Amino acid sequence: MPQSDRPADLAMAFGSGGLLTLMIFFNASMAAVSGALWSSLAAHATGSVAAIALVMVLKRRPGTSRAPLWAYAGGLAGAVTVMLSSVAVNTMLALSGTIALGLLGQVGFSLASDRWGLFGLPKRRNSARELAGGALILAGCGAIILSGSNP
Amino acid sequence: MSPILAIAMALGAGILVGVSRAVNGRLSLSVGALRASLWNHVVGLGILIVLAAILRPEGMSGMKDAPALAWLGGPVGVIFVASGSFLIARIGAARTAILVIAGQMIFGIALDAVLFGATGIALKALGAAAIIAGIWLIQSRPKTEV
Repeated sequence: MPQSDRPADLAMAFGSGGLLTLMIFFNASMAAVSGALWSSLAAHATGSVAAIALVMVLKRRPGTSRAPLWAYAGGLAGAVTVMLSSVAVNTMLALSGTIALGLLGQVGFSLASDRWGLFGLPKRRNSARELAGGALILAGCGAIILSGSNP
Repeated sequence: MSPILAIAMALGAGILVGVSRAVNGRLSLSVGALRASLWNHVVGLGILIVLAAILRPEGMSGMKDAPALAWLGGPVGVIFVASGSFLIARIGAARTAILVIAGQMIFGIALDAVLFGATGIALKALGAAAIIAGIWLIQSRPKTEV
């Protein structure tokens, strides 16, 4: 898989952040009436059905290379994430602290992942310009979290 | 709970977001992004069914009172996971993570403003400006001489 610097890929990443906002909003409306576990279960069940339907409709050919067994465990990491963050929210960290630390953990891991090519992905050197941009974005996130955006 | 443990859990949740995207990204190299997202959801569903059977949490009956939009989180998540799996091998883990976070924050401000009205608008505007400046830095290329 070639590395890409296409603006369309960068725009897609930004746009998918908007999808994440919507996803969290929808899942939170479900959690409000049923609790975190049922909400996550409903999202994974409807998601599985939607994904199966999409695979059948789009008929994209699967790749030819074999994936290691651990590559199928992304859903496990996702499930543990939900558990950890729902416990952390109810400590003195509250929602804003949990979000802020979660962003730091995610970005820190991603930098390590690029540097050493973790999990069989291509290595990538992030330029000083990209690191500075990332730091600005995190500072902006800090300001928004401090503004008390979440009800 | 001790502060250290709480901090470790919150950091760990963020690290696992990155791990999940990397693992799904590796799978997408073999089976494609959409199938990687499918596996992510099916495996997660299996784990949650086991958890629900063990913990038997209350609230299942509340699901019938949920607004229709509450049922869309899963399908939207399928597209989100597929796009992350597709992008991580193309633009790298760090750029994927930071641009997704940037989008989440900017769209989050907009959604908040629509749903709850604008509060803390000065800090939000400042934060949004920093985020947009950061995106500009990341997407711009230095003029190459040589």
